[in-house]
Amino acid sequence: MKNKYVFVLIMLLAILVVSIGFTNIYVSHNQQTEDEEFVVLTSFYPMYIATMNVVGDTEGVTLKNLSEPQTGCLHDFQLTPADMKLLSTADVFVVNGGGIESFMEEIAMQYPELAIIEASEGIEFLCEDDSHGHEHVLHEDDEHLHEEEIDADGEYVDEAHNHDVNAHAWMSVELHRKQVENISNVLAEIDPKNRESYLANAGVYDGKLEAIQVEQEKVQLLTQGAATIMFHCAFDYVAMDYGLDVAFCMDLDEERQVSAGEVAEVLEVVEHEDVKYIFAEELYGASMCEMVQKEVDVKVIYLDPLNRGDYEMDSYLKGMHRNLELIQSAFAN
Amino acid sequence: MINWTSWLDYGFMRNALFAVLIITPLFALLGTMIVNKKMAYFSDALGHSALTGIAVGVVCGMQDTTASMVIFAVVFALLLNKISSRNTASTDTIISVFSSCSVALGLAILSAGGNFSKYSSILVGDILSITTQEIIYLIVIFAFTILFWIFGFNYLNAISIHRTVAKSKQIPVKFMDNLFAVLVALIVMLSIKWVGILIINALLILPAASSRNISTNMREYHLFSLIFSVFSGVVGLVVSYYTNVATGPMIVIIASGIYFATYLYGRK
Repeated sequence: MKNKYVFVLIMLLAILVVSIGFTNIYVSHNQQTEDEEFVVLTSFYPMYIATMNVVGDTEGVTLKNLSEPQTGCLHDFQLTPADMKLLSTADVFVVNGGGIESFMEEIAMQYPELAIIEASEGIEFLCEDDSHGHEHVLHEDDEHLHEEEIDADGEYVDEAHNHDVNAHAWMSVELHRKQVENISNVLAEIDPKNRESYLANAGVYDGKLEAIQVEQEKVQLLTQGAATIMFHCAFDYVAMDYGLDVAFCMDLDEERQVSAGEVAEVLEVVEHEDVKYIFAEELYGASMCEMVQKEVDVKVIYLDPLNRGDYEMDSYLKGMHRNLELIQSAFAN
Repeated sequence: MINWTSWLDYGFMRNALFAVLIITPLFALLGTMIVNKKMAYFSDALGHSALTGIAVGVVCGMQDTTASMVIFAVVFALLLNKISSRNTASTDTIISVFSSCSVALGLAILSAGGNFSKYSSILVGDILSITTQEIIYLIVIFAFTILFWIFGFNYLNAISIHRTVAKSKQIPVKFMDNLFAVLVALIVMLSIKWVGILIINALLILPAASSRNISTNMREYHLFSLIFSVFSGVVGLVVSYYTNVATGPMIVIIASGIYFATYLYGRK
């Protein structure tokens, strides 16, 4: 009888000790020296790389990223306790904006004094429009007007639902340059002490981005006006850079199941619009692309949406360059 | 060396701790009866019906889908009870039919337009985002459950031992069954946002099941279930804070550890 209580006590103590032990090992493994530094936090990968280039080796500034390296887009991201802790120690939080950071409302409520840099400030986002594939340019400020648009019958048209903002603006080198500029400008304002350093670093990085943009313009001679299908809405911005005509866009980025009707729709568009090229992300799009390729004769180009990868200064540049070469070699022959 | 109290400095962690301290005893109490009445599968199906509840709310254009979730779950639970009491097929078959049907319906509606990722947070739950007002809701339902336990537990226990004998003792068998099902539905729906569909049933069942492994009477059964539940809740929360693991799964991992330990002990 007594044995049982002793057993329960010992068991619970053992579990407690084991979990304290493991946590201790884990934490001491990951502990970094945390000084009274200026902490810049970024929301996800492309923002991290951009901010990394702006901050460079500026002294007294620590750069941290919110989500784990492999999270990719933040569509279904859950803040972990460590993220919340990071947020409460950060001085500045760099986000992409346009709704990618779906947890922003929550954060703005919990940390009202945290300075937030929205990198896409002033950028005109494209919209996601699955059913037609026509692109409309939507200015951020117009959003609420669209929502209240009334159609001819006097009924509310749910514009916000049909025209979700496509916020993957970093996929366009041109727009990404603007993002880098935004980040450096606001960062220089918030932390005037390191103003020169930020602006100088941003200038150097902008030069490298510009070089890619020049190369892109060369490739554009080959690609201008070609009809394409995108299996990732981030590639709409690639299409913008290369002057491609997007006949259809279907987002295979998330954990969703494609219905038979959607496959048929893709095939129909391929035939009607004479589509020769499909752009997809290998991870999510490969099975769908193979299916389409069996039915019709199209070329599939697997691009990197640059939302995950290694944490190097030139990751974005390298990735963009790889994409450029892939597009160039696909269109060249 | 880690500072073991630093987690209390954050408002969201204090809120989460309160929530854990309310949810876990609640689940421990309910779990004992769910395990006794062999309703584990029933509560699982209820959890999955939350998806459909949200879908119904979205279709009806409700701002706050909690209401549609609760209403749907209550209807779902009563219907399940009604049909399974007809005894045309075994209960688990009927529950399975209901559960798959409602999950399919929910998925079909919510995934229209490829927007499912918006709702996927409900699968894993997010205890860290709980607000003070939501904690107050939980306290109310906690008080309600305790009242129900004080007045209804003996009846429920009698029913789970032998329905016919219970009936002959003037116990309103059907009424109590339905009342219990509604209570489970309410609690599952109100806590699913923080615990998550995939984990809620583990939290309901594991502490009671572990406690059943080693206890010899009702008092011990409840006591151990409570201890295991609160213990795994608090330890899981704190460990998840320091190791950057999602909170719900960490709690369940610890509760599973307790289950296997008690299982080995109970077999001796």
